[in-house]
Amino acid sequence: MQRDVGSLPLSPALRARLLAAGFQTAQELLETGPCGLSKEIGISREEALEALQVVRQECAGDAAKTAGGSGSTRKCTALELLEEEQTQGFIITFCSALDNILGGGVQLTKITEICGAPGVGKTQLCMQLAVDVQIPECFGGVAGEAVFIDTEGSFMVDRAADIATACVRHCQLIAEAHQEEDHLQALETFSLESILSHIYYFRCRDYIELLAQVYLLPDFLSEHSKVRLVVIDGIAFPFRHDFEDLSLRTRLLNGLAQQLIIIANDHKSAVVLTNQMTTRFGQNQSMLVPALGESWGHAATVRLIFHWDNTQRLATLYKSPSQKESTIPYNITVSIPLGMEIQRWEQSFGSTEIVRGRQT
Amino acid sequence: MATKKLRRAKLSQELCERLSRYQITTCQDFLCLSLLELMKVTGESYRNVQKLLRKVSLACAPKMQTAYEMKVRRSINPSAAFLPTSLHSLDKVLHGGIPCGSLTELTSPPGCGKTQFCITMSVLATLPVSMGGLDGAVIYIDTESAFSAERLIEIAGNRFPTYFDSDEKLFCMTRSIHLYRELTCDSVLKRIKSLEEEIISKKIKLIIIDSVASVVRKEFDTKLQGNLAERSNFLARGASLLKYVAEEFSIPVILTNQITTSLSNGLAIPADLVSPAHDLSLSEGASGSGKKESACVTAALGNTWSHSVNTRLILQYHDLLTRQIVIAKSPVAPFSTFFYTVEKSGLVLQDGKNLSNLPWEGTNPALQTIQVRNTALGNALLKTTDETPGDTPSP
Repeated sequence: MQRDVGSLPLSPALRARLLAAGFQTAQELLETGPCGLSKEIGISREEALEALQVVRQECAGDAAKTAGGSGSTRKCTALELLEEEQTQGFIITFCSALDNILGGGVQLTKITEICGAPGVGKTQLCMQLAVDVQIPECFGGVAGEAVFIDTEGSFMVDRAADIATACVRHCQLIAEAHQEEDHLQALETFSLESILSHIYYFRCRDYIELLAQVYLLPDFLSEHSKVRLVVIDGIAFPFRHDFEDLSLRTRLLNGLAQQLIIIANDHKSAVVLTNQMTTRFGQNQSMLVPALGESWGHAATVRLIFHWDNTQRLATLYKSPSQKESTIPYNITVSIPLGMEIQRWEQSFGSTEIVRGRQT
Repeated sequence: MATKKLRRAKLSQELCERLSRYQITTCQDFLCLSLLELMKVTGESYRNVQKLLRKVSLACAPKMQTAYEMKVRRSINPSAAFLPTSLHSLDKVLHGGIPCGSLTELTSPPGCGKTQFCITMSVLATLPVSMGGLDGAVIYIDTESAFSAERLIEIAGNRFPTYFDSDEKLFCMTRSIHLYRELTCDSVLKRIKSLEEEIISKKIKLIIIDSVASVVRKEFDTKLQGNLAERSNFLARGASLLKYVAEEFSIPVILTNQITTSLSNGLAIPADLVSPAHDLSLSEGASGSGKKESACVTAALGNTWSHSVNTRLILQYHDLLTRQIVIAKSPVAPFSTFFYTVEKSGLVLQDGKNLSNLPWEGTNPALQTIQVRNTALGNALLKTTDETPGDTPSP
């Protein structure tokens, strides 16, 4: 109630007038009432009423915060957080080694960044995750939906359909092996059509469309409350050209990162971003580093770097608050006849491969 | 769209006027400001500013489609998803051919067959759909003046003798190939910007730019300060314009690239995060000198360009007569190699020696080493020994 007038979220002109008239605290405003206010500073009664309602809401919010707990605050004890984290699901990638180094899979409520050289498999992994997030809970998934924001145009529907088909088949195999009632029930709704219908695809062609889409994302997620994964494939591409003002770029990127953190937390979803690699010239050598600069490195909670070592693809966990830095080899496979594929799926839980079933 | 004027974003007239006093006229200007700046400029309260932001975002944001809708749309017209290259094994691995709606890049050392391939694709695009073509016109942007109309007729006549049985048909085909000679970066960019209108008016179904690298490398000397950034800028802008056109009209875009030599300081640097070629078993004389330098030939135009293209095909020399086509980067196809020769009818695959479905193979498409003529000749001479050419990707 003792809140300073200058800190209230009113329009600047109104604030200036209030300060000029000598008002100092919110309490004074509320005591004056709308009619008195309108006479004193020369605004209409409706405007005065509106301003007072804003002030009252703000003060109520403040009071709730000091009293220690409404939904808008993010205060809780570490024990509550621990319980939350332990019951939280992961989005598995179907590559056991990758899931291991990530501590179980892609975590919800965190931002994961995947950097890599061209052609290394970033979009493939994103498509895989968009399918895996929909796996029903009885199979170990999170039963969510996915938002796919594409800035590079590399999303191939056919490939996503192949991955979805393989995933459904994998779940069918598990159901056959275990023969449980809820498995079979879940399988009825888990089909290629339903998987593809729950991937919401946005194609953003420049950074303005990307910014606009992220501004609208909270509303979209409130309408589609089952979304558990937001993928932005190619966060670097729209920001890497046509930007003379690098400080503007840094500011926009930081704003974007903040909004994504809020989205991840409020809607309990995982945010996955893919980044490019760029060449940095050193003294007498050149190195590949993730694009968008040093400050962007702080945006993501978990950073995975995919790279090549001769002919082997490797994934390195570069940054994580809870897991150790490590590197694992992986492959993107093409399995051909149906029989062989089933073998590969069973094997994958003990081996180090990303197996993406596909028919040629 | 970023340049949309604010009054079309359904903001009130007086608000637009007020904003234009601060030089904020487009959605781009509006969305780039922070909330506090917006409050100052519009004179509205925090909550109202957030509402305004949402309104303007609605005007700019893309439409949502589910993946299922996309699949349904594609399956209605399956033949329109690819342009078959008439090289059957290649088409099979690529799931149909050159994909429509994305950028395909063709890289090779000089004289390997890029322009031949492009000319062949031009012919194919003009064929009717029943024969695997797209039944449309072609825009061919030539920066090297390498296009030969006589060769075009020769390829057409020899590859499809039953279809092009009369002069009339040949002339009809040549009439639908629109050739533009552009010699500077600026003119190429201008041409790309004008593509949207041309595609609609002339019913274009294929765009070929031969080659991107020649005009870029002529004008940007990367050793000079600042040129590298400008070059990347130009390439990124061109790539995004081409992607927009390709996706909007669902047509294939073929670009050709040249090669460059990338040097490295080999062993001292950890192999993983570093760009240089890790192929130490490279070309002649690399290890003999005792220096830690090794050079290799890779696609030009750098790393960022490798990110921008969706599919990358590499043509390289194998021995005196045969050459190889390598699928280095593709979202649907694994790493594969095919042998071919260049004949009267264009490129001809040599069956039987092809290696596809190599699930574990692959290298960084930006650093894929390419075999040039000297190494090919050298290898042909050394064919008697068991020495495998160190930089060939195929096993």
